[in-house]
Amino acid sequence: MTKITFDSVQTGQELAPFTKKVNQEIFWKYAVASFDYNPVHNDPEWVKTAQPFKVPYTVAHGMMTMSFMTSVVTNWAYPNMLRIRKITSKFTLPVAPGWTVKCTGVISEKHVISKGKNYVVVDLKAENQEGALLGVGEIEVVFPD
Amino acid sequence: MNRINFERFFKTEKQKQFSTDFFKNAGEYETWDEINFSTDKEFDGEQTFTIKAEDMKAYAEGVLDDHALMNDEKYAQKSPYGSLVPHPIFITQIAFWCIGTKGQGNWIRTPGARNPGQDFEFYEPFRVGETIHIKMRPYDRYIKRGKYYLKYKIDFYSQKEVKKATWILTLILPRTKADIKKFVEGVRGLDA
Amino acid sequence: MSRINFERFFKTEKQKEFSTDFFMDAEDYEVWNEIDFANLEEVDGERTFEIKAEDIKAYAEGCLDDNPFMTDEEYAKKSPYKGLIAHPLFVTPIIFYCVGKKGRGNWIRTPGARNPGQEIEIYDPFRVGEVIHIRLRPYDRYIKRGKYYLRYKIDMYNQQNIKKATCISTLILPPTREDMRKFLKGQRGLTD
Repeated sequence: MTKITFDSVQTGQELAPFTKKVNQEIFWKYAVASFDYNPVHNDPEWVKTAQPFKVPYTVAHGMMTMSFMTSVVTNWAYPNMLRIRKITSKFTLPVAPGWTVKCTGVISEKHVISKGKNYVVVDLKAENQEGALLGVGEIEVVFPD
Repeated sequence: MNRINFERFFKTEKQKQFSTDFFKNAGEYETWDEINFSTDKEFDGEQTFTIKAEDMKAYAEGVLDDHALMNDEKYAQKSPYGSLVPHPIFITQIAFWCIGTKGQGNWIRTPGARNPGQDFEFYEPFRVGETIHIKMRPYDRYIKRGKYYLKYKIDFYSQKEVKKATWILTLILPRTKADIKKFVEGVRGLDA
Repeated sequence: MSRINFERFFKTEKQKEFSTDFFMDAEDYEVWNEIDFANLEEVDGERTFEIKAEDIKAYAEGCLDDNPFMTDEEYAKKSPYKGLIAHPLFVTPIIFYCVGKKGRGNWIRTPGARNPGQEIEIYDPFRVGEVIHIRLRPYDRYIKRGKYYLRYKIDMYNQQNIKKATCISTLILPPTREDMRKFLKGQRGLTD
């Protein structure tokens, strides 16, 4: 495993994207994986009339979108033994079955504190196949050096 | 370099005493790349601030706020507050005064510094008659879109050690002493 | 009301045990306008979560992440991590499992709840073999643009009482029991 140093990272650096096409089966599998059985994600019949998001179809779990955004960072951080400390997110558009969710991340801040406390902030974005914004996030990643 | 005549605007004792020349001691200001983050030690400000009615009124007037609770002592005395209530951002005046010119935190005076936004928490209102001291420490330092940000955490206490407020004070600074020197000479000392 | 056959997707013991019907106990769920904010005492979750390799792998698979540190025990054992390392959002199944159906925090199961975004701090990665318990309390409740937000602070500890993570869990909820009951009947129980 190659390790990167804190000195070597720069703001503006882009991480490799994480892109997945989603569908109702993936929503069901995520419900099982997360224990979140909220019918807005799982029950197409119920949602036709209940419409919590004012749309008559099921939508992806926000936590799944957040997980996708986080995978952008873990793909970079885990092989380099970097520690993910804090994750925040906001969801801006519910994700419909059939959409492609593309998550991208860019290092936006570099916090120069001291050895063991230096960290970067990665700004994340999730967009669908038409470029509509699905969510944003920020993840703090701490470096050992 | 102090060409502006501020004296015509002075109203309070502190305003008359406080040096208006932020260039003068610039060679001694803490700089972004030299701040020591290896310790969590807190530092005291250079001086304390005894709040007088004139200080609160002058701040409200300075921000063009004619609210009677901040300006009219008699009115404020008859209100449920019992006395003048400062504008919340009155804390700015206290911080600049207490930090002083030579002590820790003096980077807030850096010519060329830019204010990106601030973060305050208030626990208890400041009151006339209180003597405020501050405790501060380096909080965060980072680069974002080519700009160099520095943050200090400043806690404000009364003479009875009651915590009155906390300010996470943030400025975008010139990065090095050489960059500050450029600003002192009237040249832009920033890349972004 | 649990018409969907989830069983074909079950992989782990906990998934087989966990009730998939979020409607069944809905009358016991805490409701936005009934939460007692005068009592901010922390309480325990209904149960604990003993982390098995299958749990970590199942979560990674559920969010379509084939990172071998999360899914390949052999690979992870040979790495500096010396074992599987969980996806950071693995806090999600832990919370749902530990909160349970009847205990404090069960509002997270409310049919019709909407997720506006979350906040998670991770202090120490979750590991196979750890037994996680949670402590939770009401954190905030507000109305914004006609939507009713509820937030709980959930701290997660292992069996040695080492704090592993903190989640500020936030959902937009139907504000009253009446509104929630509408969702149980398949009607929209929100006014925004």
